[in-house]
Amino acid sequence: MTIAQLDKMRLELRRGVLVLAVLASLKQSHYGYSLRKQLQDRGIEMDEGTLYPLIRRLAEQGLLESEWRQGEGRERRYYRLSGPGSELLGQLTGEWRQLNSALGSLLSHATEGGD
Amino acid sequence: MELVQRYIAAVKRELPENKREDIGRELNANILDQLDALAEEKGTLTDADVAVLLKQMGHPRRVARQFVPPRPLIRLDYMPLYQYTLYMVLGILFLLQIVERTDVWISSSDMGLVRYLTGLAGGFLDDAIFGFASVTLVFWALSRHHLSISADRESDWQPERLPGVGPGWQFIPLQDIFTDLATCLFLLVVIWYPVWMPAEQLESSRFMLSDHAHLYLKRVSPLILLSVVFSLVQLRQRIWSRLLLTANVLLSLAFVIAIAGLAVSGPVLQFDSTRWQGVFDLYQLERSALITLIIFSMFPLWEAGRDLLRLRKFQ
Repeated sequence: MTIAQLDKMRLELRRGVLVLAVLASLKQSHYGYSLRKQLQDRGIEMDEGTLYPLIRRLAEQGLLESEWRQGEGRERRYYRLSGPGSELLGQLTGEWRQLNSALGSLLSHATEGGD
Repeated sequence: MELVQRYIAAVKRELPENKREDIGRELNANILDQLDALAEEKGTLTDADVAVLLKQMGHPRRVARQFVPPRPLIRLDYMPLYQYTLYMVLGILFLLQIVERTDVWISSSDMGLVRYLTGLAGGFLDDAIFGFASVTLVFWALSRHHLSISADRESDWQPERLPGVGPGWQFIPLQDIFTDLATCLFLLVVIWYPVWMPAEQLESSRFMLSDHAHLYLKRVSPLILLSVVFSLVQLRQRIWSRLLLTANVLLSLAFVIAIAGLAVSGPVLQFDSTRWQGVFDLYQLERSALITLIIFSMFPLWEAGRDLLRLRKFQ
């Protein structure tokens, strides 16, 4: 497999998970850069070209609430989970746990088979 | 900071007007946050540092595309119907062009085969551009308004009504149907041109079919009409069934007999010997016409043979 193919598959694998990570992080208010830092600190690397458009899209879908606040001499847009966003996060978390447990079992079998 | 403002202005230019200010404002805040973090790390920032950060963010057009991804002209789920409509419209325009150009060719005294073919190609190209633009515009409008045009058709289906698993040839390609229709319409225009052509135009026509051949072809016209109807049935069904294959074998054999009949029943051409003196004589032309007709009869004969083989595979 080439590096380009691997990158493409990694991107596909991460796409849905990143939405879940962003929704989970926005239980508390964050502005774009602070959200990125928090994700980075938790081991989830996300470039700004992906993160900023993603949070705007989630806000347009009504899953996030946003407001402009003044701080440290300039304005920033803060995002936070909305009611529908919290509901979706609960559903997606359940889905993720179920998938994770099924995949964990599958992958451990695959690893044992490979050994 | 001027670089940042230039960068944001460049991104805004690539955005739809109603989103420019909002996205520009947010992008500005995000970039300033990143610059703050960089300044904490490196101290005072130079223009070169800012340029490196902006370069990392990507070309303004790319950033604009990330915020507002471009919408395709035609929605992806409309594409199969769009392509089908396009093929149908282009096929019908081609048939109409055949009728129109053949009429002009026959009624003209100085239009050769080359001019006929180039006229046909040019006329079809004009119509095709218009047809392509019209169909695309309709689908573009449907895509913009998110109208559902295939949902009903796709939700109202039964697996039991699907055609059986068959070989690849069982699906009838659109181009085959339109080629048959074009050939039949061409023949009908050639055979029946005296009906709508004014008498003086008819006299100036240099069309070379003999009266005998003309009368013969008129009698064969119902067979050609039947072939047109058969093509329309194929257009509706698009799958070869036993019945359709049998009908096609019979129709092809009828065409072979009709062409052979024309070849052996008498003079095919009517010839102005003074005009072509020293170039052709009647014997040469008749012989060429006979060979041409034999070659023509090979096509339906081949189709009859092919469909007989296919019929055997059905058993």
